[in-house]
Amino acid sequence: MNDQPHNPSSLTRQGMDYGETADVHEVHAAIQREKREPRVGLEPLSIWLIAVYGLAIFTGGAYLGRYSGNFSGDGLDPLMGPPPSKKTAGGPAGGEQQAELSPRDRGKKIFSANCQTCHQANGQGVPGQYPPLAGSEFTTGGSRRPAMIVMKGLQGPVKVKGQQYGSAVMQPWDKTLIDQKIADVLTYERSEWGNQASPVTADQIGTLRKELASHPESYTEPDILAVPADAELPGGGSAGGVQPPKPGEAAKSAPPKPGG
Amino acid sequence: MTPATGIPLKEPTISAAASDAEQLERARIDASTRVPVLMFYASAMVWLLVGTVLAGFVSFKLHAPDWMADVSFLTWGRLRPVHMNIMVYGWASMAAMGTAIWLMARLCRTTLRRPLLIVTGIWFWNIGVLIGVIAILMGYSTGYQWLEFPPYAALVLFVAYALIMSWAVLMFRFRRGNQIYITQWYLLGAFLWFPWLYAATQAMLFVAPVQGVLQAAVGWWYGNNLLFLWFGAIALGTAYYMIPKVIGRPVYSYHLAAIGFWTYALFSSWTGMQRLVDGPFPAWMITASIAATILTIIPVATVGLNHHMTMQGYFPVMRYSPTLRFTVFGAMSYTVFSVVGILISLRSTARYVHFTEATIAYSHMGLYAFFTMIIFGSMYYIVPRLVGREWRYATLIKLHFWASAYGVGLMSLMLLAGGFVQGSSEQSPSMPFIESAASVLPYLRGRTLAALLLTISHFIFAFHFGLMLFGLGRTSTVPTFLNPVEAEGSEAHL
Amino acid sequence: MKGLLPLFLGLFGTFAFSWIGLTVIPNMQIGALNPQMDEEGTDIYPMPKSGMAERGQRIYAANGCIYCHSQQVRPDYVSADLDRTRDAGSSPRPKWAGRRSAPRDYIFDRPVQLGQERMGPDLADIAKAAPTEEESPAAAPAGNAPAASPAAPQSPAPRANVAATTAGGAPSPPTTLPAPQATAANPSSTPSRNGIPPAYSAAWHHRHLYSPRSMSPDNVDSTMPAYKFLYEKHQISGEPSADALQLTGPDAPPPGWEIVPSYDAKCLVTYLMSLDQSHPLKEVKSAGGVAPAPAASPAATPAGSPPPAPAKK
Repeated sequence: MNDQPHNPSSLTRQGMDYGETADVHEVHAAIQREKREPRVGLEPLSIWLIAVYGLAIFTGGAYLGRYSGNFSGDGLDPLMGPPPSKKTAGGPAGGEQQAELSPRDRGKKIFSANCQTCHQANGQGVPGQYPPLAGSEFTTGGSRRPAMIVMKGLQGPVKVKGQQYGSAVMQPWDKTLIDQKIADVLTYERSEWGNQASPVTADQIGTLRKELASHPESYTEPDILAVPADAELPGGGSAGGVQPPKPGEAAKSAPPKPGG
Repeated sequence: MTPATGIPLKEPTISAAASDAEQLERARIDASTRVPVLMFYASAMVWLLVGTVLAGFVSFKLHAPDWMADVSFLTWGRLRPVHMNIMVYGWASMAAMGTAIWLMARLCRTTLRRPLLIVTGIWFWNIGVLIGVIAILMGYSTGYQWLEFPPYAALVLFVAYALIMSWAVLMFRFRRGNQIYITQWYLLGAFLWFPWLYAATQAMLFVAPVQGVLQAAVGWWYGNNLLFLWFGAIALGTAYYMIPKVIGRPVYSYHLAAIGFWTYALFSSWTGMQRLVDGPFPAWMITASIAATILTIIPVATVGLNHHMTMQGYFPVMRYSPTLRFTVFGAMSYTVFSVVGILISLRSTARYVHFTEATIAYSHMGLYAFFTMIIFGSMYYIVPRLVGREWRYATLIKLHFWASAYGVGLMSLMLLAGGFVQGSSEQSPSMPFIESAASVLPYLRGRTLAALLLTISHFIFAFHFGLMLFGLGRTSTVPTFLNPVEAEGSEAHL
Repeated sequence: MKGLLPLFLGLFGTFAFSWIGLTVIPNMQIGALNPQMDEEGTDIYPMPKSGMAERGQRIYAANGCIYCHSQQVRPDYVSADLDRTRDAGSSPRPKWAGRRSAPRDYIFDRPVQLGQERMGPDLADIAKAAPTEEESPAAAPAGNAPAASPAAPQSPAPRANVAATTAGGAPSPPTTLPAPQATAANPSSTPSRNGIPPAYSAAWHHRHLYSPRSMSPDNVDSTMPAYKFLYEKHQISGEPSADALQLTGPDAPPPGWEIVPSYDAKCLVTYLMSLDQSHPLKEVKSAGGVAPAPAASPAATPAGSPPPAPAKK
């Protein structure tokens, strides 16, 4: 076949001479045979196409309406609206969970969240630092002592199960935990790890809270030891209104009567 | 003397040959775009080859995991994002920009005045992709899909893009003629949408990061928008140029084109969230994307009808013109890909294909069957005009086409089927998970076969392109037809 | 189309519309979530990951784990995620999850690793599948292990999974256990069967990462790549290292050599052992109606990476 891709004569075919062009370019055969640049026709829209549009819009819109879960940020489920409105600030789901768990289970939750760091999940504590709760005479004896400790905290040296502890300070929990929670965690501690002691109720803690209301400081070991080992909190399983000693006055107060 | 073709035409072509002034103008424009566009294509080809080889590795290692597994930079979890990013930013973006620059120059009828700036941009883009790839292989991937390049690589890409596209937009600014053709809408849209998209995504993920699951939402908003507003827009714009140009007929309807364009922009941009169906998101976001996907049937039907009516009576030209064949394949794939996308996005079917390879099929149908095939077609059209030679071997073009067509078809089928099988079996809790995952393995092996076909196809094309690049194409006035043209008669410049 | 300005406005408008609709508005809805706290401000869920777990999260992202593993649990009305049990371990096997995932579970994740594909199982609750730590070395099927012996609690953690900087690493109190569970603390602790560590313990994860197909008979079909490059091989000097992987068969190193996890591997496994979405959320109903006993709340663990969940129903 002929191969004349660079045919300068094509530039001058119709009388143009080189001087009239800014630069001389090879006009490839490919360009020569090209058709004109594309242009658009003006055919009208077909009615069938409009029908397709309508169907698509209807389907899309219906789909959007049906499966959008009320367009709320909480609506994870496309078919339903947001979850049922909360009845209380705590949330009914939380409340329901509370209701379905036993005090011991609730106490375990609280223990995990608050106490476990120091006293360890197995209640063994850390030697020298955090006393154990498993088998501890303070935990398993009367309920007053551990309740006092949890409410107001403990600092200074303390001897538990024959071992000395004391480099750490235990914070008071009366401001952080409500009565029910303190009662639950005590119930848990007193029945876990082989401990077998009586549970504690929220009412008992409530009463204790009122007793201790004017004693802001945390306890030390003598304060606790001043309370009889088997002193139980009033209400609950045992009676006996025993006045807790003021912190620092342990030496002065006489040993109270044992709770009945 | 040009041979007649005997191709059945609706009416004889009139004034098919352009006037000389127009020819000269086109020649000048082509000369000005020659170096940048060829550099784009050459870079893109290299990335295509590397990415395709990696694709083979990635596909193979998924069902034969112990192969070359012990080296940190060859582990599957790093090769897969490298393959994806090379294909998206190395091959697809560069080829897209090459075609787009040439189209913009031709349609705006302006020459490209400062090709050196674009060439610099190309180098920066290549460097950015290389930096990103090395970073991923060394273990610095960001962890966001389609955005695994670390921010410093993204920055280099931004700089490169600024160099490249500012000139493209300037060409548009100084265009001649008072009509803005359809292709120019799509291209201008793509030129503007991409930096907005990339910048917004980088900002929301790295600069002022959004919280929690929103990162995934932003990531998939980006992914789908990149697919549609960058790649899809350039592909559709290219098709709107190539199809009427090659057959010499006007596009069927302006109104269809306008409706198609705006509905495309409006609805396609809202897709993306369906990839997170049933996830920890407010349901309305997911449903909005699914509804938008349903509504994309509007632009699909519109554009499809437009192209079909334009082509009506000229389908036989596909027998001869490589450009037309690839472009029409791509345009038809747009329809198929969109319909498949709608079907797998609906909540009732999504539960069966979510978390399976079916989404990979969808991505590849969009990026390969639709976008890449159209770009291949455009390369077959543009390269001869830039190098002054014709494609040398019609056989190689045919091999390229059929290997690609069968490759992507097989891959899509295998992955869609495998996805359904895996997804359905995952719905039954009594089947151990490992068995449902194993049920897709035969399909993955089929996919590796498809990867082999695609590798053959791309190496053939790269070889052919290399011949053109080094001036070894055919010197001829007649283009390379795919099949010999027999009859004598009326002129038909293809 | 005439006019550049309408074109430009249209382009910008359509883009901005989707940007606002799909990113800005959801950001307003769920973009500023706080962790859930109960009335006292304790029991905070979720907590940000820190220390080795945070680094592990980045290693997880960098090695592309997200391409095969998801970390989101779908609800029961569209999937079997909540009914499915894990593949490994002896029966009854742990379930995949107790509830579907919610946006609040991910507020501290960067990058968030929701995942798109499941060639491998979902990992949102993988830490919950880990066995609870028991001090009884014998694999007692009866499961009522005695109170934790004082031997292990303060050990300086040969565990490869918890930064042993505080005393928070002690095992939890024994609960009714369904299966024989040797302690998961030590990768070289007593294996349960076939020489494979207890399912989903830290040692199990290490072995699984090193050689996924060696977890016979549960995972022989697995196509997970091996991450041997995260492990180091060196000669045993004196005593075998406490971290050394227990490997059998063709994977086992030659005598006198051992395979130990690199720091990256330990971080990765720490991260895996911190993936726990079992904590109940008010906005999501738990499978089965009753809230499962929560994992050891990270609120009290200063180290930041909580020990594996102790309790199972």
